[in-house]
Amino acid sequence: MLELKDLYFSVTETDGTNGGRKRDIIDGLNFTFEPGKFYAITGPNGSGKTTLAKLIMGINPVSAGAIRFKGRDITGLTITERAKAGIAYSFQQPARFKGITFRDLLSMATGIEEEAKLLDLLRRVGICSLSFLDKAVDAKLSGGEIKKIELATTIARNPKLAIYDEPDTGIDLWTIGPMVNLLKREQTEHRTTTIVISHNRAFLKAADVVLMVNRGKFAYVGNLDGALPMLTDLSICNFKPCREGEEDARCFR
Amino acid sequence: MLDALDKGLLKAVADLEDIPEGAYNIRKNGRLLSRATSANINIESNEEGTGIMVTIAPGTVKESVHIPVILSQAGLYDVVYNTFIVGAASDVTIIAGCGIHCGGPAPEGHEGIHEFRVGKGARVKYIEKHYATGPGSGKRTLNPTTKVFLAENAQAEMELTQIGGVDDANRLNEATLGPGSMLLITERVMTDGDQKAVSRNEIVLAGDNSRSNMVSRSVIKGNSRQNFYATMVARAKCFGHIECDAIIMDNGANETIPALKAEHPDAELSHEASIGKIAGDQLTKLMSLGLTYEETVNRIIQGFLR
Repeated sequence: MLELKDLYFSVTETDGTNGGRKRDIIDGLNFTFEPGKFYAITGPNGSGKTTLAKLIMGINPVSAGAIRFKGRDITGLTITERAKAGIAYSFQQPARFKGITFRDLLSMATGIEEEAKLLDLLRRVGICSLSFLDKAVDAKLSGGEIKKIELATTIARNPKLAIYDEPDTGIDLWTIGPMVNLLKREQTEHRTTTIVISHNRAFLKAADVVLMVNRGKFAYVGNLDGALPMLTDLSICNFKPCREGEEDARCFR
Repeated sequence: MLDALDKGLLKAVADLEDIPEGAYNIRKNGRLLSRATSANINIESNEEGTGIMVTIAPGTVKESVHIPVILSQAGLYDVVYNTFIVGAASDVTIIAGCGIHCGGPAPEGHEGIHEFRVGKGARVKYIEKHYATGPGSGKRTLNPTTKVFLAENAQAEMELTQIGGVDDANRLNEATLGPGSMLLITERVMTDGDQKAVSRNEIVLAGDNSRSNMVSRSVIKGNSRQNFYATMVARAKCFGHIECDAIIMDNGANETIPALKAEHPDAELSHEASIGKIAGDQLTKLMSLGLTYEETVNRIIQGFLR
């Protein structure tokens, strides 16, 4: 379905004593995502989860290696071409516009303008309030509202592969369960290959496969039970207290 | 009476397919083409012969006046001074606009000065569109001026749009607000090529509890240039806000200067201004929905100028 082959994404360090040195954010990944399965990607902050997702969508350029989607090399394709090939992407921090409504985004995502069909879509993504359709997707929306809209526009694409980058950010506790169910339903009813980046146990539980990323590599691939020892091991996390004299010490306050 | 060209221009600036219902005054190439009055709305040429006087009777509700101007005569520079007396407690819509069709190398232009005297408790919506087209190389100039005087508790909403094709525009909006009155201005201007547009706005909040919000949206393409200046002067307990956003593309240049002047201790004034390219996250989002780069840019600009 989706194959990552010796995939690298590198940047040049600009600060400190490492200035000018090349750093691999994604460090030689090889993996094949099976069709119709639900994958959860987790891992510490800065480990490369979002970078990987953006490489798949074509938002970040691949430094080396290849991405194949349904047997076709898509490494050189644009975002638009990948979208047309059947990949959809939910952003962690969705864009806000001026003068563009939820209805506009849904129409762009589907080419549908008929009210009845748009209402069907709303039902499918679990949005009951019809007035939501004419909400402006602007800075006035709450964090939770814009995430629901983001999710809806992704599902509306009817993607073969759906990537969700932290869909639960800003979502209240009562909505996470239904959101997990929605993505599971899309997986089973539409055979959508689903990749969710999340730290939330509800998504990790729902996944067929848990992938743990650390320093640009998969540190673990398997079911949630097998991942638990690593998830509870704090040493994997790069959040360390600063110590005097430590050259690479970084503070995350 | 209206040829195909006239109809095209009327459609662009006044959204009219033909001669409108109700009161109207259509001016073509510096002369009156057609006029109609209604029981409550009178239109007559002013004494100096420089324009028209539109008088709306007090209490007139849900009526509209169309006063489009169309130009298609080479070398003509048309200047007109129109006055609108909006009677107390009325609620009307005034649709103005100027369309230029330039067929040759000679310049064409229009300068419209619109003065509004809005009576006590009256509400007026003013919609003005400017548009120029045609194969000619002559310079198309539109220099509109609006002067607004709002009496106690009057409300005016103004939508000022320059949709394209105008080479040179110098706009001046002046307003004086009485007690409890409200003024909303939304200005949308798109320029391209070597076009230039300047907008100057001076809003005086003179009466207690007067309110004003000025929104400016600019899209500057090609080698074009837009300058936007807005000043709000508070002379009473009042509320005023200026919001100006500009999207620059290609080699577009923009200067945006909002200014606030408080001459009263209970004045509340604020502004926000931004100039920049289309945000990267907006482009990425729409392309991830399957739109091409060009389609994405068009949709974002359409929304921005909506």
